[in-house]
Amino acid sequence: MLDPKLAWAPFAPTPQNPWDRAKVGHLYRRAGFGATASELDAGVKDGHAKTLDRVLNGAPESEDFTRTSDFMASERSMPPGAPQGRLSAWWLDRMLKTRHPLREKLTLFWHNHFATSNAKVQNACFMLTQYRLIQSHALGSFRELLTKMGSDPAMLVWLDTNTSTKAAPNENYAREVMELFSLGVGNYTEADIRQAARAFTGYEIKDGKGTLNRRQHDTSEKEVFGKKGKFTGEDIAKLCLDHDACARFIVRKLYRFLISEADTPDAKLIDPLAEQYRKSDFDTGKFVATMLRSNLFFASSSYRAKIKSPVEFAIGTVRALEGVAGTLPLAEALEGLGQVLFAPPSVKGWDGGEAWLNAQTLLGRNNLALAITSTEDARFGSRCDPGQLAAKHDIATDAKLVDFLLGLFLQGDAPQGARTKLLDYLKTAKGVKYPAYWSDDDVANHRKRAVTHLVLTLPEYQLN
Amino acid sequence: MTTRRDFLRDSSLLGFGATVPAFLGRTAYSAPLAAKPGARDTVLVVVQLTGGNDGLNTVVPFTNADYYKLRPTIAVAKDQVKKLTDDVGLHPAMGALAKLYTDDSAVCVVQGVGYPNPSQSHFRSMDVWHAASTAETLTAGWLGTALKKQPVPGFHLASGNETSPLALAGAPVRVPSITSLDDFKLKMVSVTGADAAAQKNVITSSAPSTSETPALLDFVARTQMNTYASSEKLASIGKNYTPKVPYPTSALANKLKLAAQLIDAGIGTRLFYVSIDGFDTHAGQGGATGAHANLLTQVSEAISAFYRDMVGRGHGKRLCVMTFSEFGRRAYENGSKGTDHGASAPMFLVGGNVKSGVVGDHPSLKGLKEGNLVHGTDFRQVYAAVLDRWLDVDSKPIVGDGFKAVEVFAK
Repeated sequence: MLDPKLAWAPFAPTPQNPWDRAKVGHLYRRAGFGATASELDAGVKDGHAKTLDRVLNGAPESEDFTRTSDFMASERSMPPGAPQGRLSAWWLDRMLKTRHPLREKLTLFWHNHFATSNAKVQNACFMLTQYRLIQSHALGSFRELLTKMGSDPAMLVWLDTNTSTKAAPNENYAREVMELFSLGVGNYTEADIRQAARAFTGYEIKDGKGTLNRRQHDTSEKEVFGKKGKFTGEDIAKLCLDHDACARFIVRKLYRFLISEADTPDAKLIDPLAEQYRKSDFDTGKFVATMLRSNLFFASSSYRAKIKSPVEFAIGTVRALEGVAGTLPLAEALEGLGQVLFAPPSVKGWDGGEAWLNAQTLLGRNNLALAITSTEDARFGSRCDPGQLAAKHDIATDAKLVDFLLGLFLQGDAPQGARTKLLDYLKTAKGVKYPAYWSDDDVANHRKRAVTHLVLTLPEYQLN
Repeated sequence: MTTRRDFLRDSSLLGFGATVPAFLGRTAYSAPLAAKPGARDTVLVVVQLTGGNDGLNTVVPFTNADYYKLRPTIAVAKDQVKKLTDDVGLHPAMGALAKLYTDDSAVCVVQGVGYPNPSQSHFRSMDVWHAASTAETLTAGWLGTALKKQPVPGFHLASGNETSPLALAGAPVRVPSITSLDDFKLKMVSVTGADAAAQKNVITSSAPSTSETPALLDFVARTQMNTYASSEKLASIGKNYTPKVPYPTSALANKLKLAAQLIDAGIGTRLFYVSIDGFDTHAGQGGATGAHANLLTQVSEAISAFYRDMVGRGHGKRLCVMTFSEFGRRAYENGSKGTDHGASAPMFLVGGNVKSGVVGDHPSLKGLKEGNLVHGTDFRQVYAAVLDRWLDVDSKPIVGDGFKAVEVFAK
């Protein structure tokens, strides 16, 4: 059994357990969307303290990025009826270009936590308003986030709060705020839900903002978790935050997101962190830093102990190739892999873990990797060129190419057999009879693209 | 059309060589063929109505005054109901299913199905139905466990956003999820057959797992192997399937049409799992028409077309379609002209060998428990019937003791 104190203490490299390329890759995958070759090199060179600071603090976004992204999200370019694909593509673009990947990563975590889908909301402006709420608190206060979520326009539509009446309250939000957003099943009663539903009456959307209409609100006394009062929705959020189960519930979810899907942590491991989170009044940034700096985060039990989400798979691949990808086709491809941003399958969000992979989505991943690396796919091919990448990094021989690719995408975590097979392929592909009109460069590029695709189909690459 | 011989030729293990593990060889590839004498070749198609189907507006107690009192704006009027008995009838959107009931005697309606102390959480209750258990931690599904005893090939016919259901977890070989035959292919950029073969060899020959292999990596490797084998297998199935009857245009109908194609291809597939989402009708669900009615139309018309297509191809007696939802909805409507989470609801079984009729009583509207309908039949009694009588798997180790199978199949 792991000593909780030691587990959460900051990691410090030792000669037996040094700071290396694998740890840099691990940090960039979990705290962001994966590393480029130069980020991996810099991470090793700069050492663990500097690299952790860099990843945790991020850098300010460039003016150009902020202006363009904001403009694309303005009502003029993204009206309420904008198609789903444009919404997802907008966020994918941010993930690809941001200088603070950790913040976008945690925004994705909270999007999955407060899983709201435009399939029902049908209003891109509301979805973006919710994105801004989440993004501004992603590494901030969960108290604020949970409280404000109760009157967020997209959420009001998504869980029907905006049609709930004093005479006949709708229980949808009251249930999910306890079951999925703060406490988890087993920490409240059906009576708590019915009482809390009365507190969430009278909320409506005016001029794109959620407000409480006192005349439609049930102002009488309610009893929730054994406490009585004339509660409003905000009061219910407070009661949930004060509930014993709240911090633990969120900490467990973040553990699964940042550390491991492969095990269910013991209460002894979770409790000290939950206590810290509660005492900090739900300061998520501080809490995430503790997790990402910890011994446990860098322990072998956490290493590749997650399945990549489709977004991690796609963004990580494009980033590592130092390429450009049209995020509209990328968003479309991600649908086949089971992850549409701003449209999770249900209020529980994406299940994650092993649920990401099935026969269809696995083929989808292989085929997306192919599309990104091949010239034959008009959507991505010419702009994510492994040949150019290899040239940029002075890769001259087949053996160097294989080692470079395995180092870039897997930090060498592939069995020796895989390396041999990739080299064998490159050898075979030299002997193949190519069309007469192919130049030597065409052949060389084809081999580079093909072998890159093969690396991306290795089972290890599915792990985060 | 694909003949069985085509299939046997095309599904040979060439290309997978020695890497196909023994468990796969025993199951996906060695399924009893439909024509093999003595082989039981029943097919089960589970249709999941996700979100909590409003059972009270599905099988309507149209002579009950309380029903109309509880639902002032969303009740279905007596003269619109498709009568099943003197007291209950189907929602008017389910005309196609009603016709299968009256004209073809191919529908069994089990009323008031649920379980004790029902959870009103979508996710917990769905897990209970999938695992056929109310234990706190649920990791294996009722069908996955059945596949251990009776390892027949199956498919989860999925939508893009849908993950493999818990019901299928625990199977010795992962039941593949597929969305369409067209997309179910491993693609490669290759200029020649030799190049393609060389690439394919790298992709499909992952290193064998050892006891040292971490569980997640082993999971990925097994999923890959199973996927490449299935993809190879399905590549042989004819691209053009012409149904015997027209199917409506809906996602559910497309999935069932794909099931029909796979059943008719004669590759021994006997289990299908499909879902249709949207039944969480908290607001504006409508009555005889509207959102809920549209969902019921899709279910009724898709299942009806599927059944008639299968009858047309001689598979009618082999087929059993079973519907379920994680719970029914509150007996009384809420202020949003919808219904909140409730408890018991009806299940449908459709097929050439089901005992057509209405089983069990309609739940009492006088004896509500906290506004919810109390179940008369435990869902595990229906599962027991399906397992024992349809899949030929002993139900006791799966659903537990004390669940007497209900009579849903013809003698």
